[in-house]
Amino acid sequence: MARVAVVDYGLGNLRSAMNALSCFGQELAIAETGDALADADIIVLPGVGSFDAGMRGLRSRGHDVALTRQVLGDGVRYVGICLGMQFLFAGSEEGREPGLGWFGGTMRRFPSGPGAPKVPHMGWDEVEMRAGSRMFAGIEPPADFYFVHSYYAPCEGDAGRYAAATARHGFDFVAAVERDNIFAVQFHPEKSQLAGLKLLETLLVSP
Amino acid sequence: MSKRRLIATLLINNGVVVQTRRFKRTNVVGNAFTAVDFFNTWTVDEIVILEISNTRDHLDRFEGIVEELSRRCFVPLSVGGKVDSLAAATRYTRRGADKVVVNTHAVERPGLIGEIAGDFGSQCVVLSIDAAPDPARPSGYQVMIDNARRATGRDVLDWAREGVARGAGEVLVNAVEHDGDKRGYDLALVRSLADALEVPVIAMGGVGEWRHLVEGAVEGHADAVAAGNIFHYTEHSTKKAKEFMAAAGLNVRASQFYRIAMPRRPKYAAF
Repeated sequence: MARVAVVDYGLGNLRSAMNALSCFGQELAIAETGDALADADIIVLPGVGSFDAGMRGLRSRGHDVALTRQVLGDGVRYVGICLGMQFLFAGSEEGREPGLGWFGGTMRRFPSGPGAPKVPHMGWDEVEMRAGSRMFAGIEPPADFYFVHSYYAPCEGDAGRYAAATARHGFDFVAAVERDNIFAVQFHPEKSQLAGLKLLETLLVSP
Repeated sequence: MSKRRLIATLLINNGVVVQTRRFKRTNVVGNAFTAVDFFNTWTVDEIVILEISNTRDHLDRFEGIVEELSRRCFVPLSVGGKVDSLAAATRYTRRGADKVVVNTHAVERPGLIGEIAGDFGSQCVVLSIDAAPDPARPSGYQVMIDNARRATGRDVLDWAREGVARGAGEVLVNAVEHDGDKRGYDLALVRSLADALEVPVIAMGGVGEWRHLVEGAVEGHADAVAAGNIFHYTEHSTKKAKEFMAAAGLNVRASQFYRIAMPRRPKYAAF
């Protein structure tokens, strides 16, 4: 049975994520510091809050060092949700703090103003899944997921290269990235009903 | 734009689900858990649950209901009722609310909106406005508070704009005279807000037929359409509502079914 650690960096509440992650019979624990990630088989980073506050929370609790060691060094599976995807990149227009930097590129803000779609991007949207993506295995198009975000990964550089899915809010952006043992999504699978649960089951249960 | 959302509203009075007509409670329709299991199965996109008791005596019980619901609810869950402080909003989010709904107390103390948005983000704050016609106001409607028992004299559009400027991420608008009346939304009201605001607008109040949902989106320009009473009486109701919306040409989320093996109780472990 896989041991699943959920990264707590002190912002918001983890309940929605825990509710969904607890559906699959795994041992589930909240990791308040990086030390608590040491024995995890799978690390889940659910994102809430702002980019800078989140990165500061990760650093002050030693999560950044532990994550890099476990995920990049030891190949532990990483599952990032929302901000948990954005942290993977070098940075974000939302703040000044550097991200984890495992992927190159910067998160951008959706343009607002006359003629532009509403910001934040909030609601259900169909994602365009890339053929062969492991995390979307078993999910049939049209696959709709629930998004809430004001910043996005553009379809270029590393985000475009490792995109597992794209979605559209005025223009295409990267909705999911997948590289080796790293899986991350911009949407909220824990709030995306059956398609979301199916995706989480794949990420938590598949070998 | 995103797909049009179909939202199911649950009103909880003294711990049970009730229906209302023009903000007066009418029938008790049962148990919130059964209702949510039912909505989950039949493709509702979001759930709004509001505590509408006259006293605060049932809030503990309500919070218990929210917590239990959040375990079963894998769509966004908005929770409201008697949110008068950041602490009250935090209690709901701790119990599993993804968004907190504010109404009366935000009118009385508008700083409340910014306090909650500051901690949880704008996407977490839904400004609920109960509106009644008032020809003396520029928008033609005034804001009602305290379960529509008190008139404020405040212009609805003016208040909605202020609420958004203060950090509300969505506006939920209910027409007092349409509530429970089965004659459809107040489309002029919904459209005036949906066209003027930068944030999503949810139409609520008055759905008596599936076509009212379509009207809310097409004529009201609402980003999301909500209903309560109608869902309690029709089998497979949210699925039928969705199918009706899709057949009318609206871009809505399709229902798909996946085989997922879920244990009955979660397993927690420290390691």
